[in-house]
Amino acid sequence: MSLLNLQRGLIQIWAFGIKNWIITKRNVFSLFEILFWPVVGFFSVGLLTNFLELDADMVGFILIGVISMSVIQVCQIDVAYVLLYDLWSKSLKHTFIAPIHPFQLILGSWLIGVIRSFVVFLLLVFLSTFAFGFNFLKPGLGPLILFLLGLFLIAALIGISVCILVLLFGYKAEVAAWSITSLMALICGIYYPISILPSPLPEIARVIPLTYFLEYFRSFYGFHHGGNLLGWGFGQIGVYLVLEAVLFKIVLHRARRTGILIKLSE
Amino acid sequence: MALTIKAEGIFKTFRSGWWGRKQKLVLKGVDLQIEEGEIFGILGPNGAGKTTLLSILSTLLLPDRGKIGILGMDGLQDGHRIREKVNSSSGNANFLWSLTVRENLHFYGRLYGLTRNRREEKVNALIKLFNLEEHRDATFDRLSTGMKQRLSLAKSLLNDPAVLFLDEPTVGLDPSVSIMIREQVRSIQKERGMTVLLTTHNMKEAEFLCNRIAFLKNGEILTTGTAEDLKRMVRMGDLIKLEFMGTISEDELLRANGVINYGISGNLCEIIVDDGERRLGTLIALLSQSGAQIIKVTLGQTELEDVFIEFAKGTDSDMGVWD
Repeated sequence: MSLLNLQRGLIQIWAFGIKNWIITKRNVFSLFEILFWPVVGFFSVGLLTNFLELDADMVGFILIGVISMSVIQVCQIDVAYVLLYDLWSKSLKHTFIAPIHPFQLILGSWLIGVIRSFVVFLLLVFLSTFAFGFNFLKPGLGPLILFLLGLFLIAALIGISVCILVLLFGYKAEVAAWSITSLMALICGIYYPISILPSPLPEIARVIPLTYFLEYFRSFYGFHHGGNLLGWGFGQIGVYLVLEAVLFKIVLHRARRTGILIKLSE
Repeated sequence: MALTIKAEGIFKTFRSGWWGRKQKLVLKGVDLQIEEGEIFGILGPNGAGKTTLLSILSTLLLPDRGKIGILGMDGLQDGHRIREKVNSSSGNANFLWSLTVRENLHFYGRLYGLTRNRREEKVNALIKLFNLEEHRDATFDRLSTGMKQRLSLAKSLLNDPAVLFLDEPTVGLDPSVSIMIREQVRSIQKERGMTVLLTTHNMKEAEFLCNRIAFLKNGEILTTGTAEDLKRMVRMGDLIKLEFMGTISEDELLRANGVINYGISGNLCEIIVDDGERRLGTLIALLSQSGAQIIKVTLGQTELEDVFIEFAKGTDSDMGVWD
């Protein structure tokens, strides 16, 4: 790839990031996504742990789950928005008549999602320290970076799933942008260990990388789990990213065949 | 002249309902050849398949079968490379609502990989060209239909396309804005020499802009030619209007060579002949001899609109959203 092509590719990637950024800063409701819902959710659960008089370890167990969910939700919605904004504006065809690759679309929006969700993360870590005396930084910088990287990549996987569903089902797929994360909260052990789930949910949880990242980070707070948790987590992410890349390409080809790109632009 | 667009045997079916059980054949073996630097119009009634054909040629849609060549590239295999060299604008312009005119243009400029300086220069020039200066910082949802259309055209020129696809570029606009847009399209095409393929319902637009026109009906191209060719092809004849005093003998009219039809109302006589210029002199002489005093003669030519109506006769215009 020549330098010129590289520069061109980077500009195309950044186009999607900057689009999300401009729309975010112009929309007052995006503040709700970044601040209101994560903070309200955090305090609701945090105060519930106070009421139930849980010990510090248990409070930590739950707060790790709550913060992780907020980080994933905020980051994945940016990836999903990259097509949802076009869907709502009926401008999908303009995006896909341009010479862009699907990965540019995902990468650009994901970068903005990472920035937004990192802000949410910092805010919630600050609040957890002062409101509930929980030290999120106890595992150290290395494990924290790996944990966050895992969460950001899981968010990318969810966002790509939403984009795939949008290209398959159009407006009907909007709901996926908000529901997939909630479904993961149920299965992956956000508020409880997956061992309490009825079969076959624990088995399903084992094929979702979030389960491993939560267990990995909680292990620094006394909840030990055996096995190479990071290996499983990143390994599954790698496999799913490849699968989703292939699927996205297939679905985009199908969208060009069925005419859904044009139909959704009318 | 080199061919810029070549389509052979394009078929397209749309499927709907459970498992795609309902099928609608929208294009039935379309062949098209468009030369470099040509403004080519696709004319046809609603549901004829105009937008579908345009979408296939602009790589937004894949045909069921057929061959497509755009700028010497394979339309089915080289979609990405083709997209670098083409662009499109549609009548129902839709862009990101909360982005301003300038931001929208910068966004799409980035999608074509334009560097900051190049983009800035390009966006400013296009804003000026399409008289959008006053609205450059207005968000898309605040623009009038005409301004949205102009933004759409501005966007379509961001990458200096070699082929420009215009889907009903003046639909829904008031006449003055339509005229302005047509003039802009013509002058831009002339200046840049790009190939333009446009769909329209509007006969005047087709006649004003297009070097050649294809008439599409029920997914088939019925004919291709210049506006004049199409008029001749329909063989509707020319209309001779005569204002007269005295009487006109209907027997003389029936006997006259080249008369297809006629009607007399008061002192006005309308005669349809096969060739107006050729028959006019003889007709006037004949009618004068039979006692009519001709006061005024008007020779009218067939309008492209009449051709459209003639071709569109019997069209099922309810073919759904695919136009």
